[in-house]
Parts: sequence; C-alpha cells; structure tokens
Amino acid sequence: MVEDRSFAGRAFGIVNFALLTLIALITVLPFIHVVAGSFTTSAELAVKRFVLIPTDWSLEAYRFIFSTNTIFRSMAVSIGVTLLGTLFSMLISSMMAYGLSRRDLDGRRTLMFLVVFTMLFNGGLIPTFLVVKNLGLIDHYSALVLPIAINAFNLIILKNFFQNIPEGLEESAKIDGCNDFGILFRIVLPLSMPVIATISLFYAVTYWNTYLNAIMYLNESKMWPIQVLLRQIVVLASGLDYSSDLDSAVPPPDQAVKMAVIVVATLPILLVYPFLQKHFAKGAMLGSVKG
Amino acid sequence: MNGKVPSIVLSMALVAGALAGCGGNNEKENAAPSGSQSPSGSSGASQTPASEAPKDEKPTEITIMLPLNTSETPPDTIKNEVEKLTNTKLTYQFFPADTYEEKLNASLATGSLPDVTYLKNQSTFINLKGAIRDGQFWEIGPYLNDFPNLSKLKTQILDNTKVDGKLYSLYIGRPLARQGLIYRKDWADKLQLKAPETVADVVAMAKAFTEQDPDGDGKPNTIGLADRNDLVYGAFKTVASWLSTPNNWGEKDGKLLPDFMFPQYIASMDVMKEIRDAKAMNQDFAATSKTDQVALFTSGQAGMYIGAMSDVDTLNKDLVKNVPTAVVDTQALIKGPNGELTTWSIPGYNNVVMFPKGAIKDEAELKKVLAFFDKMMTPEVSNLMFWGIEGTHYTVVDGKAKASEENKELTEREVKGFKDSVIGESATNGSYDGYYTLEARIHAEQFAAENEKIAIADPAAALDSATYTEKGAELQSIITDATYKYIYGKLDAAGFQKEINTWKSRGGDKIIEEINAARTK
Amino acid sequence: MQQAIAKPEPALRSESRLSRRLIRNKWLYLMILPGLLYFIIFKYVPMYGLIISFKDYKPFDGINGSEWVGFKHFHRLFAESDFGAILRNTLVLFGMNLVFFFPIPIILSLMLNELRISFFRRIFQTLIYLPHFMSWVIIVSISYVMLTMDGGIVNELLTSLGFEKVNFLLSPEWFRPTYIIQVIWREAGWGTIIYLAAIAAIDPQLYEAARMDGAGRLRQIWHITLPAIRSVIVVLLILKIGDVLELGFEHVYLLLNSMNRDVAEIIDTYVYTAGLRQGQFSYSTAVGFFKSIVGLVLVMLANRLAKKMGEEGVY
Repeated sequence: MVEDRSFAGRAFGIVNFALLTLIALITVLPFIHVVAGSFTTSAELAVKRFVLIPTDWSLEAYRFIFSTNTIFRSMAVSIGVTLLGTLFSMLISSMMAYGLSRRDLDGRRTLMFLVVFTMLFNGGLIPTFLVVKNLGLIDHYSALVLPIAINAFNLIILKNFFQNIPEGLEESAKIDGCNDFGILFRIVLPLSMPVIATISLFYAVTYWNTYLNAIMYLNESKMWPIQVLLRQIVVLASGLDYSSDLDSAVPPPDQAVKMAVIVVATLPILLVYPFLQKHFAKGAMLGSVKG
Repeated sequence: MNGKVPSIVLSMALVAGALAGCGGNNEKENAAPSGSQSPSGSSGASQTPASEAPKDEKPTEITIMLPLNTSETPPDTIKNEVEKLTNTKLTYQFFPADTYEEKLNASLATGSLPDVTYLKNQSTFINLKGAIRDGQFWEIGPYLNDFPNLSKLKTQILDNTKVDGKLYSLYIGRPLARQGLIYRKDWADKLQLKAPETVADVVAMAKAFTEQDPDGDGKPNTIGLADRNDLVYGAFKTVASWLSTPNNWGEKDGKLLPDFMFPQYIASMDVMKEIRDAKAMNQDFAATSKTDQVALFTSGQAGMYIGAMSDVDTLNKDLVKNVPTAVVDTQALIKGPNGELTTWSIPGYNNVVMFPKGAIKDEAELKKVLAFFDKMMTPEVSNLMFWGIEGTHYTVVDGKAKASEENKELTEREVKGFKDSVIGESATNGSYDGYYTLEARIHAEQFAAENEKIAIADPAAALDSATYTEKGAELQSIITDATYKYIYGKLDAAGFQKEINTWKSRGGDKIIEEINAARTK
Repeated sequence: MQQAIAKPEPALRSESRLSRRLIRNKWLYLMILPGLLYFIIFKYVPMYGLIISFKDYKPFDGINGSEWVGFKHFHRLFAESDFGAILRNTLVLFGMNLVFFFPIPIILSLMLNELRISFFRRIFQTLIYLPHFMSWVIIVSISYVMLTMDGGIVNELLTSLGFEKVNFLLSPEWFRPTYIIQVIWREAGWGTIIYLAAIAAIDPQLYEAARMDGAGRLRQIWHITLPAIRSVIVVLLILKIGDVLELGFEHVYLLLNSMNRDVAEIIDTYVYTAGLRQGQFSYSTAVGFFKSIVGLVLVMLANRLAKKMGEEGVY
C-alpha cells in the first residue's frame, strides 16, 4: 500500500489515533473494574465501589467458583453448543442466503418478505414451547440450537453481501460445470470471508448467550450452559429478584464471586474475535482473486 | 442431508397434528407427554390401584419442581438422606427464581407440570388462582386430617392460602414479623444516644449520625439511614407500621380501604421526607438496589438499616472487615407519636406447594405424595432439609442448631437450595431454632418474637379481587410513584390525593368494591 | 430427496418459461428449503399464538379453548393506560437511537480503517467491542456507582470543582442522556464489526488509483469507502427502523424508577408491569401485536423509500 505522507494525511492520522485511544480507554475501564473486583473481597468493593487496582488481593472468589465442577461442565456445554450451533446455523443460513441472493430466482422477493416478517411478529414463548415439545426436543441439546438456528437479521446481511459478488464469476463457474452448491462452496464462500467471519461471530455470541431457552427446554440442570450459572449469580448478587427477599432464608452470593463468574464466563467468547480478525485484515480477498 | 429433510417434514406434520389438539382442555392428553418427559414412576404407579400395592414396598417416586435461590443446583447429598428417611425416590428440578414464572406458566400451559410444584411467592399464587379454580390442582384440605404432621399446620395461615374456602396447597412458613432497625451501636454510644424507642428517636438518630460526625474523622461523610428502591421490604412500610398505618388494607367505617387512604400513610411519608430533606439518608434511595444499600452500610458510610433484622449477620460480616471497631445492634418495638406500639406482619408464608392433577392421577397417588410431605414435617427430615446433616453442616447447642463455621461453604452448596422448600415452621415441623453468637442477631430473634404480639395482619390477605388480579400491579405503580414523589417533595398532599383519585378511577374503586364483597361473603 | 425433485419434471417440461426457470434453479430451491422449513416450524407455526390478543387467554384452557373478547385488550391499551405518554417516550428513545447511536459505528469503523498499523487496528477493535459482553445489570450498576449523589465519582468531581451536585439517577431530564450514552458505550464497538466486514471487501486497487489521482484520506473515505458500504448502511437502517419499538427492555427497566417514570416508561416496560408480571398474557400479546404492526408499516415504508433511491432494500 502506498502511504499518504502529506502533512494533512499525518495530522489526520495522529488525531484519529488519539481519539481512538481515548475511546478505547473509556470502553475498557469498567472491564478493569470487573476484573479487579474479582480479585478482591466484597468488603473492599463496598468501600471503593469502583476498583481499578485491588488493595486487598484475594483469589477467594475464583477458589469458590472453581471448587465444584459446575462451572467446568457448563462451560463445556456452552463451548459444544456454540461450536456445533454456529456451524449448523452458518450452513443453512448461507445456503438460504445464497439462494435468495440470486436475482433470477422466482419468488425471491416474497420469500425475503416472509423472512423480514418474522423479525416483526412472533408468537411468543408458549406456542414456541409447544412446537419444541411436540418435536420431542425437550431435554435435548438440539433444543438450544434448532429454535434459533437462523437469525433473520444475519440471513439478510449474508444475502446482501452475497449479491454484491459479481455475477460474472458465478457464470464462469457454471460454464466450468459447477452446480449451485459448487458455486456457493467453491466461489461465493471463499470470496466472502469477512462477512462469513462476522456472521459466524454473531451466531457464536447468540449461542454463547443462550439462557432462557436452556431453562425452558432443559429440565436437567446438568445440561445447562454457563449463562444460566452466570445470570443466576449476577441476579442474586445484585439483589434484583427482591420479590421474596424478606422471606428467603438464603443470603445472596458475594460481590467478588459475581465479578469472577463474569470474567470466567465471558473470556472464552471474547477470545473468538481476535481469532477471526485476520479475515477482516485481508481486505484484498476479492481483488486478489480477480487479479 | 438426505435423512434430515424427511425427518423435518415428518416433524412438521407432527407439529400440525399436535397443534390441532393443543387446546389443553383435555388433561389426560396433555399429561401423557409429561410422563414420558420425567420418567418418574408416578404415572406408572397410577395404573395400580393403591389398595393392591402392599405398603412399604417400593419407594414412592416423586418429581418436584421448585425455584432455585442459590447460585447452583445443590448436589444429591441431602436428597439421598431425605429419600432414605421417607422411602421415596425424588427427582428435584430446580429452575432459576428469576425466570421461574415463565417456566411455570409454560409448563402449566402445556400440561407438563410435575407431581409436586412449588410456586415462587405470594404473587405467583395470586396469578395462579384462575388455574386453581379451573380444577387443575388437587384440593388437599379433606386429606390433611389423615396425616398426623400435616394436620399440625397452622389453621390461620392455611386460611390465608385458601381459594374460595378450599385448600389446595401446603405452605412454607416464615416468621411473621422480622422487620426492625439495625444500627451502629458504636456510633450511638459515641454520640450518647440510646436505642431509639419512638419514631421521633429514629429520625433524631438519623440526623445525629449525619451531622455529628459519629466516625470521628472530622469529615461530613456519614449518613443516618441507608434505604433502597423498595417501599415494602425497605424502610417505608416498616416505619409506616410503627405509625400504625394499616397493613395493605385497613378498616374505616366498617369498610376495608387500602393503606394509602389513611392519614397515617401520609404521616409516614412525612417522616421519610423529613429524614431525606435533612440529608440524613441516601438521597438516591429511589434508585438504590439492595446491593448498593448494603454497601452503604458495610462501608461505614451509613449507620442505620430498616428492614429484615435477620440481615444483620450479612451486614456485620463485611462491616467489621472495613471498620474493625464497629458494633451493630438491632432494635424494634418502636412507638408512634401517641405511644401506640404496632408493626406489620406477613401472612405467615412466603410460598406454597401444589399438586397438579395432570401428573398425580388419582387419590391413592396423591396420598403417597402427601405422605412424603407428612414425613417432611418430622424433626428428622425438616432439620435435614433446613440445617443439613448434624455434625457436618450444624451442631446442636442448647437445643438449637448452630451452623458449622468451617463447613460454611459446604452448607451453602449442599443445603441452602432445600431451605426454602421445607413446609411449615419450627413450631409445627419441630425443626431447631437457630443458635446465634452475634449479640445483635440474638436480639433480632427476641424482637421478632415480641413483634408477633403487636403485629397488624393484612385483613385482605385471603380475599381476592378479579380487578386486582388483572390490573393490580399497574395500579400499584401509580401509588408507588406518588409515594416517592411525595417523599422527594415533587408532590404535595393535594397532588397525592389526585393520584389516589387516578388510582380509583382506573379500577381502584372496583378493587375496593370486590375486596369488600369478598369479605362479607 | 433428489428423486422427489426429479419426479414432477416430465410433467413440467412442456409448461411455461416459469417452470423451466424453476427447474433450472432447482438446486437453489433445495438450498433454501432447510431454512424455509426452519422459518415455518419455529416462526410461522407459533404465530397462531398471536390470536390470544383477541382472547382472554388462560394457560390451562389452551389457546383454542380461551374465550374470544374482540378488541378488549387493545381498548385497554389505548384508552385505559397512559398510552400517549408511553408511546411518546418510546418514539423519543427510538429517535435518539437513530440520530445519536446509528451513525457512530459507521464513523468508528471508518476511523479504525484509517489506522495504518494493523497491530493497533486489531487492539482497538478488540477493546471497543468488549462492552457488548457486559450485561445491562452490570452496566447499570457501574453507572449507579459513578452517578449517585451519595458519594458517586462524577458528583464528587463536580463538587470539588465547585459545582452543584446533579441528580442523574432520579431526574427525568437525565434519563434519556444516560440511556443513550450507555447504549453507545455498549454497542458502538460491536456495531462496527459489520461495517468493517463490508470495508474489508473493498478492492484495494480502488484506493491506489485514487491516491494516484492525489485524493487525500478524507476524499478517499467519501468517494470510495462510503459508497462501498452504502448498501449495508441502508439495510441496517431499514432493519433498525423495523426495530422501532425494541429499545432493550432490560436496560430501560433497570434505569426506570418512580421519579423518572414519566419519561422512562416505554411500551416494553409497561407490558412487563401491567401484563407479564401479572400473568396477563393476552394483554401483553396484544401490546406486542400493536408494536409489530407499527414496525411492519415502518419497514415497508423505509424499504419502498430505499428502492426509490435505487437501493436493493431488504426484500
């Protein structure tokens, strides 16, 4: 790449860098608070409220959450569901998106409208529960995947990116004897790595954050993903569920435990993005194929 | 690919077929899948009439659904012991309390409630009354006398849980009146204040804690009262009850009216307003969560906490870490301006347990399940579920249960999940009272006992109103908002009255009418 | 499966051009099929549940068994609540979202794209996307700690600078700014991802050509980057407009208190208090139905407008 070495170009670069540094700082401070908070005690958190560097260092919160295997088991569930779910979702979403991206497809507009329609109207918890139940998915991990297998928003974005791929490429592939499956998997997907990475990330995050479906569809608590544990601790420790609070014989969990479980339950999904980032950096994808 | 598509088509047909028959009127049809879902023997057992089954043969299989109030589902330690003592095979299904109602409603709508269903709290119970009237649950009233322990349950509390005069539930008992004041004894001593005896003393203490530098650091960094965004379990209702405001409903000229229509309610708002105006409490209390309220106290910033006195253990634990010299104490039995001595009480239960007809097929089976609860009300089982295993989770000192210090964490994991599911209370199920070492907590227990003698009960606790069921919460927020606004000085007495009129016109009048009609019925 | 598709072929062969196109695109339809089934089974089948808006739904009577009540619930919403105020609050928050939030991810992604050192670009990208993973419970509680008048950092700072304390948490004027700042803080970085993907697909030769022509960085942004991501912006905008009444229930509910309810009560929070918490399913569904219709009308308008402007739109 040719660098812009003019004065204006440099000034622009410096201002831009400074602004981004500031923004990054603002976004990251509350995180430091959570991480620092997880390494201290609830007593210190009560005094300091916003901790950036703990004075009363303690690993107690981590010892506490790692002292049973619940966190490992639910983490394993989350990782498994996220991986398989994302794979499955990407497969059927990109097939559908590709089909819908082809302008010569009859009924394409109607189908797209039907998809958009589901973003606006939904039948609610109980009718969906009935469907899941009648399909026999209760107490099955697939109940965490199938009911949310396609996200209409993600589908529309995928379709939008696919249809920006020059049709000439597809035509030439067809002449080479590829059928539509071949075009999708050999031409379109490799050319769309940035959006594939993006939508995979979106799906992964959705699966990672699955919470209510797990409670609704899985009666066996051993099958619950990490979000159930996370949310339970956060809600209890934040005193949000005060409907029975005078009456419960059970004191809430410790504040530091709350912070620690946030750190542990968020870290794995945070690591996904940097891993996917290389696909964003390779901006030359399309150009390189052409060239 | 080839296998998947037809199976999806097949499932679609299944769905279509199922939807046609998902009306839910037919109990049996709905109940069938629930049996297959929880492979408990309850449905199997139902095929054999109870008379044929010899006693003490097979353990009764029971599936139990209940809210999870701890971080995670407890392991089977306690469950296994309970099974041994009660000759049962139990399947506990815990669901997070936070979303318990969603789960409960979906299960109810799809006929998948298990044999034993705990509700979440009193308001869930109110919301479920329609289903109860519709005959979805077993009426258990007639059976109670067959069981020596269940028949000990307190009649008055059972009455509070009746629906149209019939009993459908067993209750989880709670001390009637545990609310009072927790305060910094060391601060009071330093400022030469004695334990407050009147509401005026409470106000004076809040002001003194704010103005007279009780922590002696020369900085104006202390406040009196720490309160939170909860008019009921926070300070307000308790203060109001000290001023003898009725408990939710009160009688005036032979008619029941809601508490906010009584002059004492206004007087209570005035007290809170006085404390807030004097900056003697946290200024943001209308937006303060319990966690933040507790932090104000445990950080040594605030010196008073009005609410459940049993919170004193938690408050004290972190406070003494931050302020090693701190001493807390509890106080109750606070008099109003005319020397009247009152406080409020809860209806004696915080939750109930019910028995869906969809899962329990016949009387014989119901009796087996009730027999389990009868055994739960023996001291052995109730202690096991409330305190844990003696020697491990607790020891007995002076006839009271002392929770083990070294196995505290173990108790938290293994026992606490079951605590909120023990039916009855220590007086009826024979479980130990707690043995406490913290002076303030010992006082708290004594005060709670004294409180019961002066407590005002909610006269409408057992009455219901269709309009309340439909719109109660929406209407209540009108009054809640007006109360806060009055305390914050954004609304005067006339403005408050106007809000009451809004409440009345939106459906409040109907609620009053219906409650009074229910009372005379 | 292949056989199933192939069977009707002879019958169709002699038909119109339409059927020939259908046959030619059979693979495409096959690709769409699993997704279509998903939408039918998990989205359209449950939609029959919407009819409870016109019934008095009781869980144990089932959807079919419950009694029809016509427009009773809609009447309650429009006539018996503070509907005007609630709708106004909802629309104001939506407008703020559109004006103050929507452009920020675009600007941020352009700024990130202008970072020439990829190491920094990656670091910044990773940092600003972090907040998306913080739950509202945590964000709101951290905000409380900063903004409270009882020793909050911001108010301490104001007093030390000689200003009066500001009642951020309870005053109606501060609710909306607090809301939108929290939304920006949490979602802006996350929102850049999609635009960065769009930017990554731009052919770098375009930039080189522009630079040869002596275009500065701002002109490159204006003439190359922005036009290239325009269609993504339009699609996201249309979808955002459809989400007009989805403002993050949990977030608003956590910020809501008795003192700011006049501006903070939105449709979702109202439904929660008046409907769901009391088990009033029919009422909540009716309100949701109303929301959906508003969203649908707006999406259709926005989509039409986009098409008039020569864009593809979402359908």
